[in-house]
Amino acid sequence: MTDWKALAAVRCPDIPADAVARIVPSLAALESAFRPLAKQLKPEDESAVIFANVQERGE
Amino acid sequence: MTIEQAALKLRSREVSAVELATESLRMIHEQQPRLNAFITITDEVALEQARRADDDFASGIDRGPLQGIPYALKDLFNTAGIRTTGGTKIFADHVPDTDSAVYEKLRAAGAVLMGKTGLHELAYGITSNNPHFGAVRNPHDPARIPGGSSGGSGAAVAAGMVYFAMGSDTGGSIRIPAAYCGCVGLKPTYGRVSRFGSMPLGGSLDHMGPMTRTSNDAALVMNTIAGYDSRDDSSSKEPNGEFVKAGFSLKGLRIGVPENFYIDRIVPEVAEAFADALRRAESAGARLTPIRVPDPEAINVAGRVILLAEVSALMQPYMHRRGDFGADVQALLDQGRLLAATDYVNAQRLRRKAQKEWAVLWRQVDVIFTPTAPIFAPLIGQTEVQWGETEKEDVRLATTRLVRAINVLGLPALSIPLQTKALPAGLQIIGQPFDEDLLLAIGSLLPQ
Repeated sequence: MTDWKALAAVRCPDIPADAVARIVPSLAALESAFRPLAKQLKPEDESAVIFANVQERGE
Repeated sequence: MTIEQAALKLRSREVSAVELATESLRMIHEQQPRLNAFITITDEVALEQARRADDDFASGIDRGPLQGIPYALKDLFNTAGIRTTGGTKIFADHVPDTDSAVYEKLRAAGAVLMGKTGLHELAYGITSNNPHFGAVRNPHDPARIPGGSSGGSGAAVAAGMVYFAMGSDTGGSIRIPAAYCGCVGLKPTYGRVSRFGSMPLGGSLDHMGPMTRTSNDAALVMNTIAGYDSRDDSSSKEPNGEFVKAGFSLKGLRIGVPENFYIDRIVPEVAEAFADALRRAESAGARLTPIRVPDPEAINVAGRVILLAEVSALMQPYMHRRGDFGADVQALLDQGRLLAATDYVNAQRLRRKAQKEWAVLWRQVDVIFTPTAPIFAPLIGQTEVQWGETEKEDVRLATTRLVRAINVLGLPALSIPLQTKALPAGLQIIGQPFDEDLLLAIGSLLPQ
């Protein structure tokens, strides 16, 4: 599982340590619920957000 | 009085738009100290728009049933010249110079703006307990939250301050306050109502919709605000049609009743009222069909990942003012900044998978009934819900548990009041994409 404190120290050093400590339980719970779901994905499972090459027209 | 009734009185000259606006303003000012439903009350704009509506009536110009009707906008719809705060200190002095699409359409229809309603900061939460503009309070019990994030809109409609109010719904933010305040709230299909000019939260999850006293009134508002808008990339070109469905009956309607997830951890009074609503629908000729819904909890988890990432990306430019956000919003923004890009993409892949799985359900049923929220409105400051002797659930997660997945799926969902003895609760009616007219017709036939 992710070491959220270490990650925050590197990626978002502006977040104070006490604030990181407060959000770690939420992030850990979300991660433990999300990881098994993500593992079920197959290569053919596409994203709900797909780039569409729409011709922009002047209006 | 409903919009329908007021519209009739305006046309028979029993009442003028200025009289309706004056009475609405009186109610707002009288109840504002108790409920704090508004961030900005637009007295002068209201009376000016009401005078214009009366002038139009006098000239024989009829712009439709919303002409002369007092309403409010959640304070995240841009209104040129009127401050639009998003409920946050960051935008406390923001005065837009253009209108949101929703406000444009309502102005063109002659509706009369009474003000901008209070909300959870950035619309990012369900309590509407706003650290910058004060807590919005529930009209049924001011010690309780009205729900959120469109809490001011729900309170304003339920307290009779306005005939309708506009809300936004990213994880239940129209349906939750509708349930907790005892009014009707419609989250339309994703793309049905333009998001142009409304402050975004989670762009792929945001929906704009009406909060009203009746389902018929919500249909009247939808007739005005729905439709394609080239300025909103998510706007749908699906034809609108008429949202008021005439001559509808519940006879033969296939109502899906979930056997899983939506029946777990519901307070007994809400469960009883929900069962009663099912019995009423069945006795009116509907067919109740037990169904198993594809794992809403998994969809909720994916939805939370998507929302955390989208909001934090959007608010990144304001992170140098991190301390100006309220503590709860700050914590969510921090969480979103720490998620991996791969998690966001995989959450969007899970979303598409779930969308396909749910599409199969519509072969079996026309709509799905569930409670809107598993609990009654919590007390202001309450952080947990107790289930049995040992289990506790975070208030935010409990409140959004039955609604969030529907945002992820982009489906339309209507919340109407359940018949309860004490505090209000909601019945959620979920439909296929672009079936808002069916949901509203069903809502109009069930007691509200």
